[in-house]
Amino acid sequence: MPHADAPASSSLRPWLAAAGTLALLLIALWWALIGAPTEATMGTIQRIFYYHAPAAFTAWAALLLNAGASIAYLARRSPRADALAVAGAEVGLAFLSINLISGPIWARPVWGVWWVWDPRLTLTLAMWMMYAAYLILRQVTPEGSLQPRLAAALAVIFAADIPIDYMAIRWWRGQHPAPVLFGGADSGLAPRMAIAFWLSVAAFLALMALLVNFRYRQELMRHQVRELRRQRLLQEA
Amino acid sequence: MARDLRIELRTKEALLAMGFYALLVIIVFSFAFNADAALTLRIGGALLWVAFLFAAMVALDRAFLRESAEAALTGLQTTPASRAAILAGKLGSSFLLMLGLEAVLLPLFAVLFNAPPQARWGGIALTAVLGTWALASVGTYFSAMSVHVRQRGVLLPLLLLPAAIPAILAVVQATQTYLEATGVANYWLQLLLGYDIIFTSLGLLLADAVLEVE
Repeated sequence: MPHADAPASSSLRPWLAAAGTLALLLIALWWALIGAPTEATMGTIQRIFYYHAPAAFTAWAALLLNAGASIAYLARRSPRADALAVAGAEVGLAFLSINLISGPIWARPVWGVWWVWDPRLTLTLAMWMMYAAYLILRQVTPEGSLQPRLAAALAVIFAADIPIDYMAIRWWRGQHPAPVLFGGADSGLAPRMAIAFWLSVAAFLALMALLVNFRYRQELMRHQVRELRRQRLLQEA
Repeated sequence: MARDLRIELRTKEALLAMGFYALLVIIVFSFAFNADAALTLRIGGALLWVAFLFAAMVALDRAFLRESAEAALTGLQTTPASRAAILAGKLGSSFLLMLGLEAVLLPLFAVLFNAPPQARWGGIALTAVLGTWALASVGTYFSAMSVHVRQRGVLLPLLLLPAAIPAILAVVQATQTYLEATGVANYWLQLLLGYDIIFTSLGLLLADAVLEVE
């Protein structure tokens, strides 16, 4: 099972991917801080948007990966699906944290408050709580076949919960007009702002893919080590 | 399910524990907030459901507790009943237990919190039935999950609260509407009904995944 004598090119590839992602992140950072023009009404603080929104997209992508992998695990019980589910949840939670932290920093000078119970904010916080609970469940469940099974069973419930949550908070705040959140994003972003924005999205997605890939391999290796140890114990017995 | 209810009626342990717990919550709230009619009109729905939620947590925690002793869960699974049927039984008994308790707490709440005279109790009762089923459906599922785990008591609220957010939101809004008698909370009840249907069927569908014993 262990691939000790893998070809040299495959050991070089992760370094290349990491270097490429780093370059992309630096370029995106330059565009976010210097390349994009300063926004007219909000001023410099608006630049946080180039990290805030791409972090949210990336988190959604990673959590979608977690949901898909969890369903695959329940269907096939393959350790690969489980490893992908862990990686997706952990990385997704990290990007969700970036989103949740950068949001209030922006909101304080622009809205005058740190936090509003707006649908989008509420949903993001709810998702953060769910996937934190998911990782805690993994922590407290004994290793073995039980852990991935319970985790996948939980992930499916949580994934089904998100759309309902979305509907609920839409209705809940339906009576109060939500503050204009993404007024500038979809409706006419200045060309140089759009470049900064999409570069950030690309950089964050690349970083997410890189991290998920690392965690996925690590998790698979952990599984292999455990299997080998178990086989040895069986042989000795 | 009949078996669980019978055990419960004989021992009365959960009923007493959760009943007393919820009673304490209501009493503590009542003097912590120095509840008058005006306050109840504003946040009564939320207070009532926090108390119900605490009681539900005790009930759900106990739903599978009995089975964790002496490998009873393994024993239960050697019977011809399918795992989905076992889960459905637990769900039914937890639901009835919680509902029975709420039937006692609701009048108490009305008295201690000086509920407004215009309150529509029929609507509140309907909300309670749908909301309790919502909590019981995801709660029983998570309760089955947490039997396998050491820190059971901590895990259940940790999983239940985030998953129940839409249900809690809906029951509080609906109860508030009926308490103020400002109209009919149709779409909140629809949301609850949808939540009930989705999570009950999802839970039964995945019963094998959470109840399987190694």
